[in-house]
Amino acid sequence: MRAAPSPAAPPPDAPAPGTRSAAAPVQAAPVQAAPVQAAPVQAALVPAALVPAGPSSPGPSTAQPSAVLSARYAQSFDVAVVVVVAGWHIAGAGSELLPYRSLYRSFPAQFALWLVIALAITAGAMRLIRGRSHPAWSYALAAVALAVTIAGAAGCPAGQLLKTDWAWGTAGWLGLLVLLRRPLGELVGFLLLNGLATFAVLAHDGLHRADVAGFITILAETTAIQLVVAVAARQMGATAREAAEVTQSEAAAREDALIAERLRAARQARWLALQETAGPLLRELAAGSADPADPEVRRACAVEAARLRRLMAESDDAPGPLVHELHACADVAERRGVAVDIETVGALPSVPADVRRVITDTAIAILTTAVSQVRLTLTALPGGIAVSLVADSPLPPPQPAAALGVVIEHDRDRRSLWVEARWTR
Amino acid sequence: MDQVVTAGIVEDHPVVIEGITSWISADPEHRIQVVLVAHDLMALEPVTGPVADVLILDLELNGQLVTAQLPRLVAAGNRIVAFSAHSGPGLVREVLDGGAYAYVAKDEGRGYLVEAVLAAAADRPCVTRSQAKAFLGDDGPERPSLSNQERQALLLWFQGMSKASVGRRMSITENTVRQYIDRARMKYAALGRPALSKDALLARAIEDGIITPREVATYTSQASRPA
Repeated sequence: MRAAPSPAAPPPDAPAPGTRSAAAPVQAAPVQAAPVQAAPVQAALVPAALVPAGPSSPGPSTAQPSAVLSARYAQSFDVAVVVVVAGWHIAGAGSELLPYRSLYRSFPAQFALWLVIALAITAGAMRLIRGRSHPAWSYALAAVALAVTIAGAAGCPAGQLLKTDWAWGTAGWLGLLVLLRRPLGELVGFLLLNGLATFAVLAHDGLHRADVAGFITILAETTAIQLVVAVAARQMGATAREAAEVTQSEAAAREDALIAERLRAARQARWLALQETAGPLLRELAAGSADPADPEVRRACAVEAARLRRLMAESDDAPGPLVHELHACADVAERRGVAVDIETVGALPSVPADVRRVITDTAIAILTTAVSQVRLTLTALPGGIAVSLVADSPLPPPQPAAALGVVIEHDRDRRSLWVEARWTR
Repeated sequence: MDQVVTAGIVEDHPVVIEGITSWISADPEHRIQVVLVAHDLMALEPVTGPVADVLILDLELNGQLVTAQLPRLVAAGNRIVAFSAHSGPGLVREVLDGGAYAYVAKDEGRGYLVEAVLAAAADRPCVTRSQAKAFLGDDGPERPSLSNQERQALLLWFQGMSKASVGRRMSITENTVRQYIDRARMKYAALGRPALSKDALLARAIEDGIITPREVATYTSQASRPA
């Protein structure tokens, strides 16, 4: 036998042996290669392995779409706005309307206007919470608010408008509610119009200097508060999106690190597998101790060529990995001019990677000695599979060690060699 | 051989026709004589009754599968050996159910076509490896139940062993191997749509002692049992 593999330096991207354990908890490797990593798991797509166990596991490990996360933040804020607006309408506007009820030109008319605003707030709140944002509705409700501002102010006793007018403030809040999702400019415009409307009624009644001062004070107070809330809403939305994006990118980074770690482990495993057999053969050829004219050396080279093809096939994510790998092994024989006929019967079971190795090793042994023809069949059996080769191979069959539940049998007649590897779960 | 078997070839590719005739003429005993070569099924239309003992029929003529016409051809008294580039198990079973005597995939033509034609002329089965594959892969609800021995013989035969090797491996004679394989074929002949050819196959199998009349009745009753 050839000498044991010398401890040559691993490729630069292969981690030191100690670091491999980092990949150990990862079950379904996208690339299966080595005997050292003998998890009997079929190749799975990487993201599937990263999905957390159940829907009840929130937190940063849940790769949640950022849209969902920021929508959740935004909705809580919307609810807060609705509470503020409704609260103002009931407590703020109501506490002005009721004490001065005897002063209005018509209290029932004022109360009807108050109810109109209440209905508009309800409609606006429902649309906001449900995420409806058709602008026509927003504008219609804003128009209702303006109309109530004018009508409410006009119904106030002359000279006492600033004291008894409840509509201006609450209409402003309604405007804020319905224009919360619209550009900030629209709300600013609305609040100005709302103030101007009140001012127009005030001017119509006859302006006094005190009125103007009072108007400006109220305008500054209410409009400022409403604008602050609107700006805060925007700020909250942006922050929520940012937070969600950070969460998302953290999850993506973790995912990338896991994939990279697995790829590194698989590469390491492939490198180790090559070190066992192909490495020594190449070294012997290079040193001249193995003679390429020697049929035994040529056969060994063919075996290693087939194994290399298999290694590459193992890293493909093919639906039927065993058939795929056997095709790769057959490829090398076909290049030598051997006709390989591959037939499959039935729905083939999924075969663990290490078992596939035993089976493909058996196939390689026959494929590399066949003279001109190989018939390779895969037959689904109850709970397993039979892989057989019939070849015009002149050599006595090699005796591959049956392992991992694979039973290997062979038979020879005058012309051909039959070998079957049978595996049952 | 007492009498020369006459054969018709229905095939649209001249190269394949040449191949078939060369296999037939390569037979050292010259047991088959080609009496008809047609490029499509139209050529058979004006003729009433079979023009040859056996018709070698390519299932795909001018780009179209002709499996649907098979039962009509069989009912007209033709013995059909299907010859096709396809080897899908479903197609093979469909063609056998339609009343073909044998199914020979094009890549097994050299080895089995002559044998299949001769067997069909004598109303005997010829189970090619593609037929064995179709039987082994059958998981339909109507499939006949094969014995373990029949299944094992079919499996080894499908895998590519010679019948002599199958016999040695199973510690039985080559004749018994043939019998197991033919019995599996007969179970399929006893199933599905009735056809003249299937009756002839079964009658000859009973005569040859491959199966007993009682067994035919059993297969048939199993097949006609509602699923």
